[in-house]
This record gives sequence, C-alpha cells and structure tokens, in this order.
Amino acid sequence: MSERPTVRLLDYGVGNIHSLTKALQRAGLDVELAPATDGAGEADGLVLPGVGAFGPAAQALAPVRDEIRDAVADGLPLLGVCLGMQLFAEGSVEGEGRGLGLVDGKVGPLDADRLPHIGWNTIEHARDPVEALDDRHVYYVHSYALPDNPHTVAETTYGQTFPAIVAFDNVIGAQFHPEKSSQAGRVVLDAYANLLEAYR
Amino acid sequence: MSLAKRIIPCLDVDDGRVVKGVNFQDLRDVGDPADLATRYMREGADEVVFLDVSASKEDRSTTLDVVQTTAEQLFVPLTVGGGIRTVEDIHDTLRAGADKVSMNTAAVQRPELVTEGADRFGRQCIVVSVDAKRVGDGEWRCYTHGGSQATDLDAIEWCQELADRGAGEILLTSMDADGTLDGYDLKLTRRVVDAVDIPVIASGGAGTLDHLEEALVEADASAALAASIFHDGTYSVEETKRFLADQGVDVRQDT
Repeated sequence: MSERPTVRLLDYGVGNIHSLTKALQRAGLDVELAPATDGAGEADGLVLPGVGAFGPAAQALAPVRDEIRDAVADGLPLLGVCLGMQLFAEGSVEGEGRGLGLVDGKVGPLDADRLPHIGWNTIEHARDPVEALDDRHVYYVHSYALPDNPHTVAETTYGQTFPAIVAFDNVIGAQFHPEKSSQAGRVVLDAYANLLEAYR
Repeated sequence: MSLAKRIIPCLDVDDGRVVKGVNFQDLRDVGDPADLATRYMREGADEVVFLDVSASKEDRSTTLDVVQTTAEQLFVPLTVGGGIRTVEDIHDTLRAGADKVSMNTAAVQRPELVTEGADRFGRQCIVVSVDAKRVGDGEWRCYTHGGSQATDLDAIEWCQELADRGAGEILLTSMDADGTLDGYDLKLTRRVVDAVDIPVIASGGAGTLDHLEEALVEADASAALAASIFHDGTYSVEETKRFLADQGVDVRQDT
C-alpha cells in the first residue's frame, strides 16, 4: 500500500485551523497548510475549513476560484467544513462574492428564534456514505445554511430542516464541525479518506 | 430530537497548570490542563472552558502554549477566557487553537471590541462573560476584574446590548451563587434567557445534579457550566448526563 495521502488545507487567515488539521491527521491524512490564494495545488485532496464569514472567504478564493472548480471537475477530492461547505453554493446572503457554484442556489439565514445555532444537534435521514451518523449528535456553530439541494445525504432541524452533509462524486461537505464532534465526527473524515483512496 | 443542552466543565489555569483555590486565595495545583480537558471529553463533556487566572503577561503566554497542546488532543470545542483585551488577543487565542474566546472587563471598558471581534472572526466565537450581583429584587449589577469592581451596568440591559453588538453567547455568572454549591440563580438566568436571542450559559452555584437540571429546564439556559462538582469528583460528567437524560432533558449521550 502506498503512503498516506496529503491534503491541502486552505487558510483564510482567521480562526482556529489547528483542530481540523489534527482531526485530518488522526483520520490517516497528511496535511499541508496553504494561504487561500495558493489554490488547489498538487496535493491529493483539498480542504476548505470552516472559520470566518462568507464575504472575506469568497474574496480570498476569488483569484483561484476557477482553478479550484476545474481541479474538482477533474476529480480532486474536496472536503468543505461549515463555511467551507457553504462556499460550494453560488453565493450567500451573508456577504458579497461568488462561491464555487458546485451546488445550485444561495446560502441563506436559518429561520430560528435563537441564533447562532451553537451546540450539539441530531443528524436525521443519514444515508450513504454517512448512514452511520443517523440519530447521532454533532457539533454546530453557524447562522446560515445551504439551500435544499439534491446532493444532501443528511439533515438536521433547528427552526427549519437544513442540509447537514452533502456528498456527490468527489465532493463531501459538512455544515457541522467534524473536528469538534468527538467520535461522531470521524464518520465524515473517514468518508473523505475513502474518497481520497477511490480517486487516487 | 433537537438542539441538546450542553454540560461544560470549567478549568482555572495559572501559568500552564490547572489550579483550584477558595475565593482565589491559596491556589493549589490540581493537574495538567490537556489531561483534564481530554478526560472530561471522554466522559462526555460537550465543551471545555479554560479560564486564565494568571497574574502576569508571561504566565498568559504560557497559557497559549497550553491551549495549543490541548487543542491538538481535544475533539470538542474549547473556550478560553481571562486577559483578553484586544482584537490581537482574540486572534492569538484562536490561532493557538481555541474555538471561542470569552471576555468580560475589556468588553465593559470598550464595548466596540465585541463588534470588532464578531466582524473579523464571526460572532460564534465571541463569548461575553457577565458577572452579575443582585442589588435588589429582580435587579442585578455587572462586575469586572474577576468580580472585584462594581459597574453601573444593569445586568439585563448589558446582556441585551451585548447581543445587539454581536456577541455569540453569554456566559452568565451569578456572583451571589458562585461558590455556594446552593444552586444557580434561576431568576437571573431566566431573565437573561428571555431578554436575549443568543445562547446563554448558566454559571455559578452548581452543587447537585438537580441544580443543573433547574438551570437547563426551569431557567431554560442553553448550557450549564460547573467546576467544583466535577473537579472534586462529586459527580462525573457521564453520570451527570445520564441523570439529566433520565429526567427527560435532551443531552448528548454518545461520546
């Protein structure tokens, strides 16, 4: 068997990326950190982390947006976490700028009484490749969510039902934080590690 | 199923070690922060809070090293408070591996800091700690500097202002109840929960598991923070959550 796959984690310059780095390593992956403007690079996979706001992140990604889109279309395994998954959409009402356009529609605000949605909430309707998460608690910190879309493979309800996980082709994204979701978080990271094997 | 109520152990950290004292006197070393935090995680803690009680700036930089070591092993959220004064402090603490920062005195002295932090890092990582002391029936005042200095701020109004300014959560400590083990100030907690539309963490006074249930159900706090009952080994986080689940409180039980 070959050596561990390496994934590139794009850093928008704010917030905590240590935890996601450590969680990816724990899932058997090597991680290289790069500024967002460095784009997809030559690693085996690309990870968009989940810290910050949509506008600044979209702005940071703008110069490399098309390069990332092309690389993903060519089979580069992509993981998006929280904001990183929201960047799959075409845009967001949270801020200016274009997302990657991998998922149709715009990210919108959650329709709930108490925001942000912070804490452990339940995964519903989980199916392949994350069916092991059904009915388990995962850790959320967000006020916005992806629109309903055909790539949704798990949902959560807080005020409204929203996509918790999307998965299609060589792409997987989680609205919650797998790196902060204790054992349950491993299901998403392992699914991504499997994608990396499948697309090597 | 819905959003679960959270149980949060709080650790006082001084010069890189977890300490425990009575009324901040006679601090004594009770262990390594990363070891204790990960132990609580394995028992089912939903988050962990580090409160930096270091007196000097040098000791605070030691705390950042501790945050980094801890974050590498902790797979639940970590909040770090104590000594956060500027946007740079927030940045440094988050980059060290904290998921959220908590501030009190600095927010009172310069409320714009809350908004600046929320705009730059997202409101979800800005926790404002409010230390409230009862001054009359249904009236509470805010204190700063670890509870040693009174302000003119009405606690309920201040919490509303914090929510408007972009705070992501309020960590509400009753100074009357803190350290008594007689239970949370439920009236105060309920008033703040009803007054703001962001999550409220109840703190101060937990002595029994019934107290935690009261804070989460009667006062409807999003989370209950406790220190002594966990550190003293009175209850483990695991049996706390089992108790709450048996009472019908929605808590996360798988770890």
